Amino acid sequence: MKKFGLFIAFAVAACAAANDTFLIRGVDVYPVTGPEVKGVSVLVQDGKIADIGAKIVAPKGMKIVEGKGLRLYPGMIDSNTNLGLSEVGAERVTVDTGELGEFMPQLKALSAVNPESEHFGVVRANGITSVMTFPAAGGRGGRGGGGQQYISGQAALIHMDGWTWEDMEIKRDAAVHFLFPSIASRAGRGGLANVDFADEIALLFGGGSAAGTYTEAKRQYETQVAKVTEFFDNCRQYQKERTANLPGFKRDLKYEAMIPVLEGKVPVAVPAARERAIHDAVAFAEKEHIKIVILAPQELGKEGPELKAKNVPVILGRTEALPENQDAPYDYAESLPGEFYKAGVKIAFGTFDNEFSRNLPYNAARAVAYGLPYDAALKAITINAAEIWGEGDKMGSIEKGKWADLMLVTGDPLETPTQIKALYIKGKEVDLSNKQTRLYQKYLNRP
Amino acid sequence: MKHAFLAGLIALVPLSAEVTVIQNATIMSEGAKGTFKGTIVVENGKITAVGDNVMVPAGATVIDAAGQYVIPGIIDCHSHIAVDGGVNEGSVSVSSMVNIRDVINPEDIAIYRALAGGVTSANILHGSANAIGGQTLVLKMRWGQDAEGMIFQGATPGIKFALGENPKRAGNPQGGRGAAATNARYPATRMGVEDVIREAFNEAKQYKAEWDAYDAQVAKGEHPLPPRKDLKLEPLKEVLEGKRFVHAHCYRSDEILMLIRVADDYGFKIKTFQHVLEGYMVAKEIAAHGAGGSTFSDWWAYKMEAIDAIPYNAAVMTKKGVVSSLNSDDAELMRRLNTEAAKAMKYGGLTREEALALVTINPAKQLGVDNKVGSIEVGKDADIVIYDKDPLSNYAKVQKVWIDGNKYFDRDSDVSGRPLKELEKKKLTDKEKAAMPAPNGRRPQ
Amino acid sequence: MRNLLSALLVFCGCAAAADNVAIAIRNAKIVTVSGSVINKGTVVVRNGLIQDVGESVTIPGDAVVIDGEGLTVYPGLVDALSTWGMPGPAATGGTAARGGGRGAAAPGTTQTPAAAAPAAPPARGPEDRPSTTSWIKAADEIQTSDKRIESARSAGFTTAAVWPTRGFFAGQGSLIDLLTGEKAGEMVLVPSLGQYISLTRAGGGGGGMGGGFPSALMGAIAYVRQIYLDADHYQMVKAAYEKNPRGMQRPEYDRALEGVIESKRILLPANRWVEIDRMIHFAAELKQPAIYYGLREGFEDRSVKYLKDANATVLVSLKWPEKARDQDPEAEDPYRQMVLREKAPTTPAVLKKNGIKFALYSDGIDAPRDLQRAIKKAIDNGLSREDALRALTLSPAEIYGVQDRLGSIEKGKIANLVVTKGEIFDDRTKIEFVLVDGNKYIPAPEAAPAGRGGGGAATTPNSGVKK
Repeated sequence: MKKFGLFIAFAVAACAAANDTFLIRGVDVYPVTGPEVKGVSVLVQDGKIADIGAKIVAPKGMKIVEGKGLRLYPGMIDSNTNLGLSEVGAERVTVDTGELGEFMPQLKALSAVNPESEHFGVVRANGITSVMTFPAAGGRGGRGGGGQQYISGQAALIHMDGWTWEDMEIKRDAAVHFLFPSIASRAGRGGLANVDFADEIALLFGGGSAAGTYTEAKRQYETQVAKVTEFFDNCRQYQKERTANLPGFKRDLKYEAMIPVLEGKVPVAVPAARERAIHDAVAFAEKEHIKIVILAPQELGKEGPELKAKNVPVILGRTEALPENQDAPYDYAESLPGEFYKAGVKIAFGTFDNEFSRNLPYNAARAVAYGLPYDAALKAITINAAEIWGEGDKMGSIEKGKWADLMLVTGDPLETPTQIKALYIKGKEVDLSNKQTRLYQKYLNRP
Repeated sequence: MKHAFLAGLIALVPLSAEVTVIQNATIMSEGAKGTFKGTIVVENGKITAVGDNVMVPAGATVIDAAGQYVIPGIIDCHSHIAVDGGVNEGSVSVSSMVNIRDVINPEDIAIYRALAGGVTSANILHGSANAIGGQTLVLKMRWGQDAEGMIFQGATPGIKFALGENPKRAGNPQGGRGAAATNARYPATRMGVEDVIREAFNEAKQYKAEWDAYDAQVAKGEHPLPPRKDLKLEPLKEVLEGKRFVHAHCYRSDEILMLIRVADDYGFKIKTFQHVLEGYMVAKEIAAHGAGGSTFSDWWAYKMEAIDAIPYNAAVMTKKGVVSSLNSDDAELMRRLNTEAAKAMKYGGLTREEALALVTINPAKQLGVDNKVGSIEVGKDADIVIYDKDPLSNYAKVQKVWIDGNKYFDRDSDVSGRPLKELEKKKLTDKEKAAMPAPNGRRPQ
Repeated sequence: MRNLLSALLVFCGCAAAADNVAIAIRNAKIVTVSGSVINKGTVVVRNGLIQDVGESVTIPGDAVVIDGEGLTVYPGLVDALSTWGMPGPAATGGTAARGGGRGAAAPGTTQTPAAAAPAAPPARGPEDRPSTTSWIKAADEIQTSDKRIESARSAGFTTAAVWPTRGFFAGQGSLIDLLTGEKAGEMVLVPSLGQYISLTRAGGGGGGMGGGFPSALMGAIAYVRQIYLDADHYQMVKAAYEKNPRGMQRPEYDRALEGVIESKRILLPANRWVEIDRMIHFAAELKQPAIYYGLREGFEDRSVKYLKDANATVLVSLKWPEKARDQDPEAEDPYRQMVLREKAPTTPAVLKKNGIKFALYSDGIDAPRDLQRAIKKAIDNGLSREDALRALTLSPAEIYGVQDRLGSIEKGKIANLVVTKGEIFDDRTKIEFVLVDGNKYIPAPEAAPAGRGGGGAATTPNSGVKK
């Protein structure tokens, strides 16, 4: 009787093995949080990494993936995109980033994500299993009014596959996108990098009045900071009222959305290019007792010790970028990640783009060429990202108990010719074909 | 000298009679047998020997490239760097009277940065605001030379055409720069773009007939009054005569085919299709016409006409017999054409040699300069790049670049020269600060 | 006798000159520029001309004698490229339709487009002659009421080469003496000095699609090139038609080409060494004698080399590049820009050292104090005072071919003098008075910078005589 029961159990198991339970055999595992282990097997059960070991015996009927000669890495994570929110950059109707309004923390990027965006298929074909998708900066004056935008909304951490955005959701409010004011100065860059000729001559011959005076800019900055401070004060006031819950209390969606930020549960993600902007943003966060992540800094300057001491992580932008200004060394952008790393700052990479999200690993590779240690680069596109966005216990490395977000590859994923043989999200194999592979096949076979 | 400062301390190998030898390198070049370890001898700006068993002439400057890789200088078939005063004469639909050659800016730092990315020659093009744009030319990245010194002597001059969204943008001014409807510039549709080109060549044919008649009379010893020289029609006449290459910016398969048929009708050839993101759909027709295809490795979806772009484009065109290259159209991407080439291995399975050809010998062929550059072969210009690692690797860095046997980039010199640059800048900044009026407004004496 | 002479003068319409009264400046230091300095000497001026100059000169009995003890006499300064006296931006420029007709108003009157023509549609190509008013002569546009004329005199200037400056072919410059009077005609020394060419649109950057042809620098260059091709062809066709009009289509009158053809030289803009190189090649291609203006990177080795090889003549702007005020303290200017600011004022000294012919020009600096400071800066950066003086007197005269009548203190030359207490161009030096065509003007007490038509202090035309 017992035997029969066991047999039923196996049969059931075999059927229910469905798609998120299988064994990868004989593969070189790169856990990221530990040294690589060559020629072992990995058991994935119910979408989680169940076991890693030299000899794991697969139950009968379990799907086996042959891993000989291949490598297994955690799926990669892009810490800044607009995936699902923007289809064709030049066509506004296809773009859902950049809403109007000054303080819009209640906006949710997640529920505007189009799961059928062609970008998902294209990007995950190169091993990216999850991304942060941001509501991005909006509220520019002109169309329908509204000046500066300070808070754009909630950025979501999502998986790169799913029937609906609910399916794809990992965390709908992984961060609140906060555009902390900075002093707009003329260049600040010794930059003539991409300035048009008339401006260049004006700058060269001292007449440059490209952006008004410093006094004006500083005044404007102070006004903006006051505005932002006032908003945060109002949020705290609301928090008090909400706790007190006296009769007559009315819910306000904006302030509601800020409560997790005030409670330190959700970080603000702040773009800050200059050293001074980084410092100002970090100082503000400290004053308000909130967590902060810095986005796309363009220089480190003397900010290293502060960022390290205050545990402020940084999402680095593209290394595939021109130097900041005319006088900067040609490898400025490529060398920046190495500088941040050496200063002890926790870094992750974001491509800040949809089109180039699939090149995330190559972006990281260029940093390796110019001073970032390889292991640090790999962490910056896997475990660091997971931890920065608060899901470090569930993803970002190959460890028991974590989601089976995995990529099976032919070599170093940071090198271009490497092929993705298979990709798994929560243990389910992901379709690597996409619009581009289909067009390729179609026209390759045109007679 | 400012330029020495700007470019770092470049040790220019003295010109001409000097002999330079690069030894023990892993050489990757078409023409040379695949990839092999060997030696290159450079004399008088030309490659005089290359092989695995080559004599080192006495008195030569020997560079030991053990562990390093050597490839021919990269050629970017689509660039807008080094241009003064605007890259688009966008005011009119046919701006063939303008010439990039008039506005070369040899001081553009992008030239130096391109060198640092292994580029030795670039096809400098007019922008894409016009169905028929301005005249173009090929430059070598001879950083430190003047405008004349940058020109790739002997390269056939070109002219830029543009199809698709860009040349019709000024015809659709809603949401544009406030140009009133009355000032909308024809054309507003792809149909109009074709018409503009046909009209221009119609005019050019008549212009050519006038001048041919005049030349015939002069040949007979007569002295007729010459026709008026029209700078707009002159380059189109040259196109009809095969003396000027047409480089046509295009995206969609329909417009690619359209231009081929227009060219057929007027009896001229398109030399290269640029961007040609849907080239993979009509590779057969492009190959039959004999045009080259110069494309992006993996850009897509930034505008509507790019939504069906695929990263397999270069591979498919190559497989279907089109001479294909990868270009940058961008000062930043220009520095990474070696790793862009590697993408054609990933997307489409090209071999290493085929991938490298996309940025060396193929663009050379497309520009008609493959007798001079594009591979490391005896008799060609010594345009050579040394990398510290496999150039198709994302970890590779350019170490040294020669053009015509003169070293124009040396990473070691660049890096070691940085502290001095910083110091010079600081000195001048401090000097200026000291001379500024004090906060109380009084000028310092 | 005096009256007969005056009558004769009036009769022959000669240029305004002080009524036959002589002025003698006695016992002054005289810096002639053309010769050695006269430590103590006398200048006698009559009928607007220098009658005599030297150490021991007989002073005519009827002369008004000015005691020159402690004073220095210099030739009046010449601004080699000026807009003093020219009307404001509204009047000239803009697209001019092709066709004939006199564009200029009577001398001295303002040519403000009161009933302004509606904005011309954007040019569709060179044939529309965009921003071209090549036929306009500065002499015909002079506004005698321009306050800058008197403020220029307060800075020691007596002459200016004034140019229309708006447009690709802005028009023809004229050499004028800075008189205050009713008739502009009496100011004119040379009615046409050449054609002013600029390669950027007034008041707007390039690269647009709304402004008409040309929008980019290469468009402007192509346009200029086409005009000269058209001018050659035009002259050929006109000549053939003159010879035998029968059976031939008559050439269409094109005043733009007429203006270009009658210009004996061109002025081309060139600041960076790249532009200097470019313009030298361009002038050679066009086969036009050229003067290059701007020259902010004239100090560069390459600039010097190109200018020397081309035997070029240049006009150096006195508007030295300055650091923008009120800048972000953390902002860094490009190194290149800082070097330019440091080195630009050395350009005159560098050019002098290398034997390159140059003059200085005001480039929009109007206030006497600012002019003096700008010139002093060149002296502080290596140009000798003598060479600075020459670059503002005899050199511009030579450049414009009037050295036989202007630019130094020599017998027979035009009586344009500036008399100072102290060495000219020094901070503390006071300009006592100037003579322009023998007319004495005393500078106003130091006041707010004189603008166009307002704010300037009145000049008191003083003793001596004025028309």
